Amino acid sequence: MEAEQLLSGLRQSALDRIAAAASLDDLEPLRVEVLGRNGALAGVSKDFKKLTPEDRARIGKLLNEVKQAVESAFEARKAGFETAALNARLDAEWLDLTLPASGVRPGALHPVTRIQREIEELFVSLGFTVLDGPEVETEVNNFDALNIPPTHPARDMQDTFWLEGGNLLRTHTSPVQVRGMRKLGPPLRMIAPGRVFRNEEVDASHEHTFYQLEGMMIDRDVSVTNLIYFMKTLLSSIFKREVTVRLRPGYFPFVEPGFELDIQCLICGGPGCPVCKHSGWVELLPCGLVHPNVLQMSGIDPKEWNGFAFGLGLTRLAMMRYQIDDIRQLQGGDLRFLNQFTA
Amino acid sequence: MKFSYQWISSLVDGLGNVVEPRELMRLITMKTAECEGLEEAGALLANATPAEVLVVEPIEGSHNRKAVVRTIAYGEKTVVCGAANCRVGLWTMYAPIGIKKISGVESDGMLASGRELGINRDHEGILELSKPELGLQPDWVIEVDNKSLTHRPDLWGHYGMAREVSAITGKPLRDPVDMALLPAASAEPVKRVAIGDFTLCPRYSGLVFENVTVQPSPLWLQYRLEAAGLNPINNIVDVTNYVLAELAQPMHAFDADKLRGDTIFVRNAGNGEKIVALNKEEYELDDTNLVIADAGGAIAIAGVIGGDESAIGDGTTRIVLESACFNATSVRKTAAKIKNRTDASMRFEKSQDPENTVRGLARAVALLQEVSPGIRLVGGLIDSYQPLPKVAPIVLSTEWVQRKLGHPVAAAEIKRILEALQFGVSNGEQPGEFIVEVPSWRATKDISLREDLVEEIGRMIGYGEMTPTAPLVPSVVPPANPTREFHHHLRDLVAAQGYTEAYNYSFLSDETIAEFGLAAQQPIRVLNPIASDQAYLRTSLVPRIVNNIRENRKHFETFRLFEIGHEIHRNTEGLPTETPHLAAAFFAKDGDGSAGLFELKRLASCIVPGIEVRPCDALPYEHPARAAELFADGTRVGRLFELHPSMVEAGRAAILDLDLAAAETLSHGRKIQYKPLRRFPTSAFDLSVVTGERTLVGEIEAGLRAYATANVTAIEFQRQYSGPPLAAGQKSVSYRITVGAADRTLSSAEVSAVRDAIIEGMRSRGYELRV
Ligand SMILES: [Zn+2]
Repeated sequence: MEAEQLLSGLRQSALDRIAAAASLDDLEPLRVEVLGRNGALAGVSKDFKKLTPEDRARIGKLLNEVKQAVESAFEARKAGFETAALNARLDAEWLDLTLPASGVRPGALHPVTRIQREIEELFVSLGFTVLDGPEVETEVNNFDALNIPPTHPARDMQDTFWLEGGNLLRTHTSPVQVRGMRKLGPPLRMIAPGRVFRNEEVDASHEHTFYQLEGMMIDRDVSVTNLIYFMKTLLSSIFKREVTVRLRPGYFPFVEPGFELDIQCLICGGPGCPVCKHSGWVELLPCGLVHPNVLQMSGIDPKEWNGFAFGLGLTRLAMMRYQIDDIRQLQGGDLRFLNQFTA
Repeated sequence: MKFSYQWISSLVDGLGNVVEPRELMRLITMKTAECEGLEEAGALLANATPAEVLVVEPIEGSHNRKAVVRTIAYGEKTVVCGAANCRVGLWTMYAPIGIKKISGVESDGMLASGRELGINRDHEGILELSKPELGLQPDWVIEVDNKSLTHRPDLWGHYGMAREVSAITGKPLRDPVDMALLPAASAEPVKRVAIGDFTLCPRYSGLVFENVTVQPSPLWLQYRLEAAGLNPINNIVDVTNYVLAELAQPMHAFDADKLRGDTIFVRNAGNGEKIVALNKEEYELDDTNLVIADAGGAIAIAGVIGGDESAIGDGTTRIVLESACFNATSVRKTAAKIKNRTDASMRFEKSQDPENTVRGLARAVALLQEVSPGIRLVGGLIDSYQPLPKVAPIVLSTEWVQRKLGHPVAAAEIKRILEALQFGVSNGEQPGEFIVEVPSWRATKDISLREDLVEEIGRMIGYGEMTPTAPLVPSVVPPANPTREFHHHLRDLVAAQGYTEAYNYSFLSDETIAEFGLAAQQPIRVLNPIASDQAYLRTSLVPRIVNNIRENRKHFETFRLFEIGHEIHRNTEGLPTETPHLAAAFFAKDGDGSAGLFELKRLASCIVPGIEVRPCDALPYEHPARAAELFADGTRVGRLFELHPSMVEAGRAAILDLDLAAAETLSHGRKIQYKPLRRFPTSAFDLSVVTGERTLVGEIEAGLRAYATANVTAIEFQRQYSGPPLAAGQKSVSYRITVGAADRTLSSAEVSAVRDAIIEGMRSRGYELRV
């Protein structure tokens, strides 16, 4: 009976002291004192041999019960302290995540770059290759090979920057057509975005340096309705909505027939507004079937092959997309303007 | 080019009642040429009415007078009028514009001048009528974009446009020309023509008239000219302008009594030959200019402007009427040279139809008889002509047209359209095949190929009628453009590092070339710049980037920007070399400048891994102690420098200039080779090298590498230090060196051997080692 009282007293005092522990530090000595190898419970089990076998079984069972009770109280109390400590730490680590990010903020891509890449990606997905040509071109590539002979009035339409040595700054991206046809031959699907030059006075709507995207498709049977299809696909993708287009006759020496393509005004949708000069339509791009002379001059047999070509004003598109009202800002290098085009 | 709706209506039967001006404009835009605008002309005419002046009284204290008029439509009215020609008994035009108090008197409506009515430009006085009737109605003027008429000589006159309108609407075209009015073929001309070169003047035709009365044209004719944007002058000149505006045939009238000799010469001007033109300007010509001359000298600059001496005046009684055809290029160049593009030269520039000259004369005869009663023809038709080579008939198959258009069109429809446009169409050998004769007014340069006919058919059908169709072509992966992909990748990379993309001009000015010392690169000169900053092509992106820095410095304390563009370098022959470059700049108002330089160095190594910086002699615009060339794999790829402090105010700018052609080659050549992970542990030791303060860390590192054996796996810079206990002017540079072998753990003796070799080697180079 003595042993039973002793165990029950041990149990009670251990549980009381665990409950009373103020910290993990208080708890550990207690564990050693009660459950340790030389602890109080171990002391009780040492006295086992003095007991009768019946008592031994009974007391042994009781001892185990007490040991388990104390151990589990101890573990629970320990876990409690650890959780509290973790919670305290977590709370202390409160951080204001609305503070500005560290490091450098990303820069911006030029609005023309953005538009150009969008259109490049679209055409690549339609099987077109992207070609480049130089900014300085020969007279032949810029004019003659595009069916614009020296006497042609179209040369007056384009105010050309002439360079010493007889070359010129390309007045359109069309010379890249010529380069593409010579380099790759038919069948051919290509676009050529790039910088072009016209010798013009600069004001809010005129620039001597601007950007075009030339496109060309040459195959066995390319028709006017194929051209319309591509232009509609292109424009719906650019404007991210279904667009209504109309084709009307337009004169460009390197195409025959040649067209001006208009889109129905995206601002008023047709009835007329200042943007479309009250016509309901906005002139967007010249296009047409490639003139047989142009194919011939680039070594392609016009009896076997034909195709379409178009020229898209990237500068104009960027201005439409972002509602830029002064063309000079595009070449102005002013970060107050450019930084607005951060991705 | 301005087209009068009434004029076109007069040439297309039944048009006026059916197709409104705005609809006509739309049809012309969609099927023929771009219309830019529609304006009402003679708006006041709608309600204006003839009126007889009954009473004229002065108004005290005013130059205006009070007039009582009897109007045909509105009864008697009292108006205030300032015109000097307002007199009792005058028939003029009254316009009911409401009651207004003028000079203290209530004016109910107004008496109108020719200008106010839109009939002519006369604003001297009110319109004078010869009879109590005017018979003019408001008109509409359709303005067509001249550029869209570049290839269409025939559309520079109302008749040509009427032909289009007739084809579009199906209404019959009415030819205003009556060839029977020309003198009989048997009649001898009284003037001879001598054409020096028929390529410059394929045809020169003319007529001589006598008993001419020079006077103002009838108001209907003035009104027509005014609508077409031509200034009425006198009946003779007005008739030439009328024919020009109707048939696109420029004409000129000479005073026959002022011509010397009986031969008209068409010849090149002498070098330095002078002529005073109708506009009283004296022009000095050369032998590239064509003139019309008589026995005494030049009397007109061919196809551009007449001479003053032989001009029609009030006393003119006999005239020579010229109706000729001149070479387009020759006229264009002459007009450009004398800087006077006239209504005539603009038409000749488009390659006019030589068949049209006599038609113009026949039309002029009819008009002259109306505007100069009693006028008489003298002698026969003057006509010297060498026809141009004819355009061969075009074989056109319906099937081919359908393939080109991608639209089903019936053979009968093709025939109908071409015939409506007055092409000659006959059946070819195959079914659905046509032989098409090109009319003379389309043959001068516009149409010679079957493709040209597709345009005629397509536009008349209307492209809106055609269904967009995806082409049936094989699906292929397009050839890649690695250069462009590389540049796109760089743009993303550099922008992600905080740099904003700018676009700059490809030009440099003289001043910039001097400031940046670029003259040695011999930039290519622009021959015809319109501004001084377009004098040369850029051989470097840096000057414009510096300009960006100078401008943006006014608004930002710190900023980053970049540009990808072409440097353009002269070659001895052929096209110049265009090298893509990336120029990036970091500007900070504060700081010692090192942050920007090292940030850009890091950027460069993101673009070209393994890039090496070698300090070099500075260019004139670079900080002399902060300039370096960049190398990778032994190739020079660019420069990194701080902008010379004298080039930018209050702040420091670091600039990176990379040759992207070189960088791209390096990036394509770079192969990544996987090495198995080390299975045996490595060990590391630290070394500090003590040396002079300006010894390059790059050199020290190169030394360490030179003495490192194969077992050295890494040499990592730790830090550099100067200050006590080091002597002044000394610095210590520390490295951590890692060694290891792929197949075993190195023994400590082996590690020591590596270490000792490095230490000994560095000491032999004169470095002091702290270990
Ligand atoms: Zn609109």
